Amino acid sequence: MWTYLLRRVLAGLVVLLVLSFGVFILVSLSGNPLAALQANPGISRATIAAAAAQLHLNEPLVDRYWGWLYGLLHGSFGVSYTGQPVGSQIAQRLLVTVKLVVPAVILSVLIGVVVGVISAVRQYKPVDHVSTGLAYLFFSTPVFVLGLLLKDFLAVDVNRAVGHTVLFTVGENTPGITGTWNVFVNGVQHAVLPVLTLTLVTYATWSRFQRAAMLDVLNADYIRLARAKGLSPRRVLFVHALRNALIPVVTVVAIDFAALIGGAVVTEIVFSWNGMGQYLFNGLTGAESPDVYAVSGWLIVAGTAVVVFNILADLLYGLLDPRIRNA
Amino acid sequence: MAHAAKRFGSLRRNPYGAALIALATLVAVGCSSSTGSSSAPGTSSPGASSPGASSPGASSSAPVQSGGTLTFALDEDVAGFNPLAAGDTEFVLAEMQDQTLPRVFVVQPDLKPVLDTNVVTSASVVKNNPQTIVYQINPKAVWSDGAPINADDFIYNWQAQSGNPKFKDAGGKPFLPAATSGYSQIASVTGSNGGKTVTVVLSKPYGDWQSLFSQNNPLIPAHIAKSAGFNEGFQNFGAAAQVSGGPYEIQSYTKGEDLVEVRNPHYWGTPGALSKIVYRFILSDDQQPPAVQNGEVNMVNPVLASIPFLDSVKAIPNFTVQVQPALEFQHMDFNESNPYLALSSVRHAIAYGTNRQEMITRIVAPLSTQIGPLGNRLIMPTQPGYTATDHGAGSFDPAKAKSLLQQAGMTMGSDGYFHPNFGPEKGQDFTLSISTTSGVAVRSEIEQLFQADMKAIGLKINIQNYTANTLFGTIGPKSEFQIIEFAWVTSPFTSGNQSIYCSYTSPQCGDNWDHYADPKVDSLFSQALSTIDPAQATAIYNQVDGLLWSDMATFPLFQNPDLFGWSSNYKNIVPNTSNIGIPWNANAWGAA
Repeated sequence: MWTYLLRRVLAGLVVLLVLSFGVFILVSLSGNPLAALQANPGISRATIAAAAAQLHLNEPLVDRYWGWLYGLLHGSFGVSYTGQPVGSQIAQRLLVTVKLVVPAVILSVLIGVVVGVISAVRQYKPVDHVSTGLAYLFFSTPVFVLGLLLKDFLAVDVNRAVGHTVLFTVGENTPGITGTWNVFVNGVQHAVLPVLTLTLVTYATWSRFQRAAMLDVLNADYIRLARAKGLSPRRVLFVHALRNALIPVVTVVAIDFAALIGGAVVTEIVFSWNGMGQYLFNGLTGAESPDVYAVSGWLIVAGTAVVVFNILADLLYGLLDPRIRNA
Repeated sequence: MAHAAKRFGSLRRNPYGAALIALATLVAVGCSSSTGSSSAPGTSSPGASSPGASSPGASSSAPVQSGGTLTFALDEDVAGFNPLAAGDTEFVLAEMQDQTLPRVFVVQPDLKPVLDTNVVTSASVVKNNPQTIVYQINPKAVWSDGAPINADDFIYNWQAQSGNPKFKDAGGKPFLPAATSGYSQIASVTGSNGGKTVTVVLSKPYGDWQSLFSQNNPLIPAHIAKSAGFNEGFQNFGAAAQVSGGPYEIQSYTKGEDLVEVRNPHYWGTPGALSKIVYRFILSDDQQPPAVQNGEVNMVNPVLASIPFLDSVKAIPNFTVQVQPALEFQHMDFNESNPYLALSSVRHAIAYGTNRQEMITRIVAPLSTQIGPLGNRLIMPTQPGYTATDHGAGSFDPAKAKSLLQQAGMTMGSDGYFHPNFGPEKGQDFTLSISTTSGVAVRSEIEQLFQADMKAIGLKINIQNYTANTLFGTIGPKSEFQIIEFAWVTSPFTSGNQSIYCSYTSPQCGDNWDHYADPKVDSLFSQALSTIDPAQATAIYNQVDGLLWSDMATFPLFQNPDLFGWSSNYKNIVPNTSNIGIPWNANAWGAA
């Protein structure tokens, strides 16, 4: 087990290393942060040279990568083209994204699994049709539309009914709130709508995976055998069927979770949350884009999340199915 | 210095700040007297919160509760915290610093400047030749760190904005002010009476003298700036940016999120009624109405309101909405370092090809019927002295536009686009890019209409937008654009426009991002600045504007109808259409 884990971690590190090199090179080559300066005849060569030196653009690409990697191995994410320390910027953004994504993923897993299982067990019954319809509705609704609808038709009505603001539509918190409990409650009030938005679009997908996996398992021979042996329907469902039907869903959840750590860009923008997604967006579209240091810093965090969650998924496979663990 | 909207500066930008302030001050107030205090009799601090405050133009007399918070949604973040430095002079910054930095005169909603007696008890021209101004600083006036506000602050603020290379910033670097209008004419600033009396002697008369140390040219603390640095010491939020000389001080700033102001405990005048003012950055306008409905935001003043925005906020119960033509106008700037835009004929062709009336009909007319194509970039139609000086240069004439492009050395291609016969785009479709702030629906609409107009005359337009921070902090000041669209927010002091239109080769012209230069304009500006008589000064400024049209230095589109909206639970809120914005009297705001 430990050997397996170590092997996966080492493989993950190699993947990150290769990925970081590839992204650093590709992002660097994908655009020229000095293009606007160079295209402008009014800008002197000295100014352009100074800007190039400041951004290390006058150094060979591999040297720049090595310098960045050396800094990373020594705990520094470097400084972005806009002069901001990437590490602290990402730390702030990551915290924001985690506050959004973790509750949404937990809720999505719970709802997705329950809805998927019920749909499978009640296949082609009204409850299946309703859950399928809702899943398609949420799955096909653009995130920004859903977010705006929730703002206009949920938050406004709830707040009006209550008589004061309990559901917030802008930002991660209200400035100037003091006291741990007040800060926590305010944070929750700000998180309700974006978390709900993200949950609705995420659960919709996962419930379909869960339903399909559950149907496969329920039609398997060993389930028929279990029923024939006289096991209770509840035991067949939860111990024998669901456990196996969770395996493909675990894979999807792990991959999606890791991707969301990289940023739920649209949700963040609609609700003015300054998370990882906005950080990447700014790094790719800002004034001195592409900002290879900002993007590379983002990649390391998002890539690490992918590697870690894939390893976790592999470990979960083993827990769910001993045959995998012993293989 | 006016502000760009960048609503600046004060872009929405405010490059006009000081200059316009000065002119308009004179024009509007009619204070042509060169001697005697300019303060209106009985004037007091701007926006005094107590009943009976005598600030003219302010209806800030309703009794209000002490305490509470007001949240003001802004659609732009700040690029820095020095309102005097090139690159920082955004309108939103001016708004945020209305209550934190002291200023001698404050332009009221009726566009008349009034002395802030909390800062100086008098400001008078005591001598005409040479023009000499004496300021008596309020003996109680102190910065929030306890240092007195005294002559050193006036001396430093003059030196930093003088454009005189003998004065150096921290580290021996040259000062990089956004503008030098008026300050470049000061021969000396001296202190006496323990630093509480300041005597300013000008080498040449300055008509807009009331713009000095005033409006969006507030005093920054000399004792802080000397060590931190004028150019760089205020770039990032920190202790330097928190030192206040007004009723409020900045408590916190979170980039991209908010700036919070609380009462300045060291303020010597009447304390602000609200205990907290929150400036919340909601960069996408369509997110503001729901936030207002939810009670998360109490005040809005978008860069340029769209019809859906107006409809949304008007439908909110207990929410006051006012639309007023502002001292603010949308315009396009041409970067003349581009080999094509360097040609006057190409710039004129673009202007002739742009249907401004169509833009106004689609974008502005539903907000205000008073707006038409703008014929003057220095004086707005709502100011005395406005005259359309374009002489037809702003008319819509696509045929003439095409003809001018042909004369400029372009050949119409089979694909309907002109092909230059010279330069880097030789033989290719003639293509230019336009940039503005992202997230502002109306500006996007302007760009799209412009793109369609240009396609009709054979010019391909690419749209590349940036956040306000990037556009006004980097793209504009570094001249990394071809065509840029934004708004200048001005004041009645027309001299503040000088830094935008004087020749870019001069270090005094920090707001000229366009590489525009015309010695005649420089000369006329110099003449206007030294003209005391407001009618004569206005006539000269109109001559300047005529030259700017003739050169098509920039292309004014239309005066902004400014939308102000606020929760009716708050009292004493009075919109101010000059470049200090609605928070000019925020110290008087409060819940009823």
